[in-house]
Amino acid sequence: MTEVERLKEKEILMNGTQAVAYAAMYADVDVVTAYPIRPYTEVMDTISKLIADGELDAEFIVAEGEHGQFEAVKHASLVGARTLVGSSGTGWMYGMEAIVVTATDRAPVVAVIGNRALDDPGAYGVEHNDALMVRDIGWLLVWVDTAQEAFDTTLIAYRVGEDKRVMLPVGVSMDGGFLTHAEQLVRLPPKELVKDFLPPYDRGKYLVHPDNPISVAPQVNEDWVMEIRRQHDAAMERSREVIEDAYKQFKKVFGRFPGTTREIKMPEDPFVEPYMIEDAEVVLIGAGTVSKPMKVAIKSMRAKGAKVGMLRLRWFRPFPTREVIKYLSNSSVVCVVDRDYSMGSPNGGGVFYNEIRSALYDLEERPKVINFIGGLGGREVTIQDVEKIIEIGLEQRDTPVTKPVYWFGVRGERW
Amino acid sequence: MQNEVKYIEIVYRGIFQKRLAKYIAEGIVYMARASGKSALSFGRYGDSPERNGVPAKYYAAVGEVNEEDLIGYSTRVEPDYADVVIVLDDTLVKGVESWAWQGVQPINLKLREGGVMIVTSQKRAEELLPEIPSKEFNWRLAIIRSPASFSGLWAFKDDMTMEKVWGAIAKVRPDIINLEALESYLKRKDKAQERIRNAKISYEELIVREIRAGEGRNYKYTPPRLPTWQEMLEGAVIPAVPFGKRNEQFKRGTTKSERPIVDFDICIKCRLCWIYCPDEVFDETPDGYYDIAYEYCVGCGICAEVCPVKDCIVMVDENLFKEYESPYNLWKKDKQKYKEWIKELKERGKKERVFVPGLGR
Repeated sequence: MTEVERLKEKEILMNGTQAVAYAAMYADVDVVTAYPIRPYTEVMDTISKLIADGELDAEFIVAEGEHGQFEAVKHASLVGARTLVGSSGTGWMYGMEAIVVTATDRAPVVAVIGNRALDDPGAYGVEHNDALMVRDIGWLLVWVDTAQEAFDTTLIAYRVGEDKRVMLPVGVSMDGGFLTHAEQLVRLPPKELVKDFLPPYDRGKYLVHPDNPISVAPQVNEDWVMEIRRQHDAAMERSREVIEDAYKQFKKVFGRFPGTTREIKMPEDPFVEPYMIEDAEVVLIGAGTVSKPMKVAIKSMRAKGAKVGMLRLRWFRPFPTREVIKYLSNSSVVCVVDRDYSMGSPNGGGVFYNEIRSALYDLEERPKVINFIGGLGGREVTIQDVEKIIEIGLEQRDTPVTKPVYWFGVRGERW
Repeated sequence: MQNEVKYIEIVYRGIFQKRLAKYIAEGIVYMARASGKSALSFGRYGDSPERNGVPAKYYAAVGEVNEEDLIGYSTRVEPDYADVVIVLDDTLVKGVESWAWQGVQPINLKLREGGVMIVTSQKRAEELLPEIPSKEFNWRLAIIRSPASFSGLWAFKDDMTMEKVWGAIAKVRPDIINLEALESYLKRKDKAQERIRNAKISYEELIVREIRAGEGRNYKYTPPRLPTWQEMLEGAVIPAVPFGKRNEQFKRGTTKSERPIVDFDICIKCRLCWIYCPDEVFDETPDGYYDIAYEYCVGCGICAEVCPVKDCIVMVDENLFKEYESPYNLWKKDKQKYKEWIKELKERGKKERVFVPGLGR
């Protein structure tokens, strides 16, 4: 990109949900299905305004509930429409039957998941359990931590999901409140560049159309199901290279690595964001906006001489096993911060904790892994919380792990 | 294992015989256990026998092995062989389609050497045998002189069919159930004397015929080669049946125990059969009649019910037919002969239905 073109970039103050809606407009989506639930609601608000303002030409369907919303969008995707959908918390759960078959039927819809605590009790705030409900059913799942990354990653989601090697739905997950309702400056690239990044959505022989008579999802039983699952698994595996291609192509077309701007810099790894990790003895791991207090705390602890770094997981499905091994194998202690829970799991740890422990298992010399569960239901994860996590990590460098899982920031719990 | 474990395969029609099949298997299990053997029963789960008339299977396993091993051998969709095949409706001898991509499987597919097939039928062995595929070894065909026991939906019709089947097994395979065990099992039930009497009559009057290798219908079943995951279309997608064609892979013709016949001479070409048939088996002919693709007909009888002309479409016993021949072609070939043929069919095999004026039945 030339400097002249760069100047054509617009800077707009918008929150994470608006950024996704703008990205969908840039991707020229054909069908948007919606049903309101906080914090997702601002996505549909923004889309409807873009349509009303004549900025976007798309079918906008407000369904009778999330089940209908996700059914409708799946069918739209199967007949060749580029689609945007999304939900949060319990709404995402209500759509779950349709959400499962969206992946099985290989409909590459892009869904925004504004992370919200699952009812009960009622809470608007972030927990990652809603999005994690699709971790085993063949959805691609990515967490973003800035509005800029939300915009860029949504464009990437269309390119990756619609790739013929993949053809899978993508969940773009973001923390309710801290990102969905927090405005940051987003640098919008010149719209005419999008076509160089995002080819038209083409289902080819899988297009449901009278001229291409196919039947989707018949009853098949034990003679066919395993082959269909194996195909799905192979597509998920193939998505790794497609994701890598997409990040390279993004940089080529837009002149910057996704999520970065002239002010925000990151190492160019599509799956994870490593931060001050080269010589780190203690590495913090998290997904979403928890990375922000982490970075501040790491800087202040580094100033005190602590060798500490961070690995933010961007993609969760496919899981970045190779990257986790690459970045963590030289560390002594890994502190996984889970904004989710998995009651009764190994050690009672969170979902990320157990996945990371599993990814490290084949290493001959494994770092210790400690889990910190907190920030649930929208509670803050403070810089002081992170500093304490780092201190616990540092203490554990030369001692065996006595307490593998901590709940932090919870009344009545000593840590 | 093959010497120690015996499998009894019960072939029945869903949903009307589902309870019957399950109870027959259950009785075999209790009796075998009372004789000191281990035993269990299971349904072929993929059959979905809740569909009317669909051929489905139930199994009992009886073994001279410990119970845990028997469970280990029998945690299957279906066993590899059967020592006894029980056929609860004689129209099933034409073959069985469960999932249609498997094709029409011979009724005696799993029967192994030394095995016996027991059919409840009012027909003679000579009438049934031409429909039953031949085997490469000698086997036995036993006939319980009894009509097919069809209960209503989900219900069980306690018409002593179970007792007759058990009595027959005791006769031909006392190694699985012996008469003593059967009697002591029935003694504990209600109407014990009637049950024992029926079992004994069946035991004594059972018709057993030795069938030689090669005897029967010449039908070679080839299991389909199913595609690998790399060969299949992705995303649970299959090519649709082209407009105006039928699905070669999904015929379901063996679901029927009755077949509709049409008296074209009195047909008024009203088209109601074509409209109402849930399986779209009627084809309009150039002169406005409606021919029937019998391979796809499941014998539901809706055409006969909606036909407004009395005795125009009539349901007839499926065993009276050898082929899936087009009735329209037969009529076109020789109208007089056709007329006589369907008259004979109606006399021999018409299934009684209540006549409601205007509904044709």
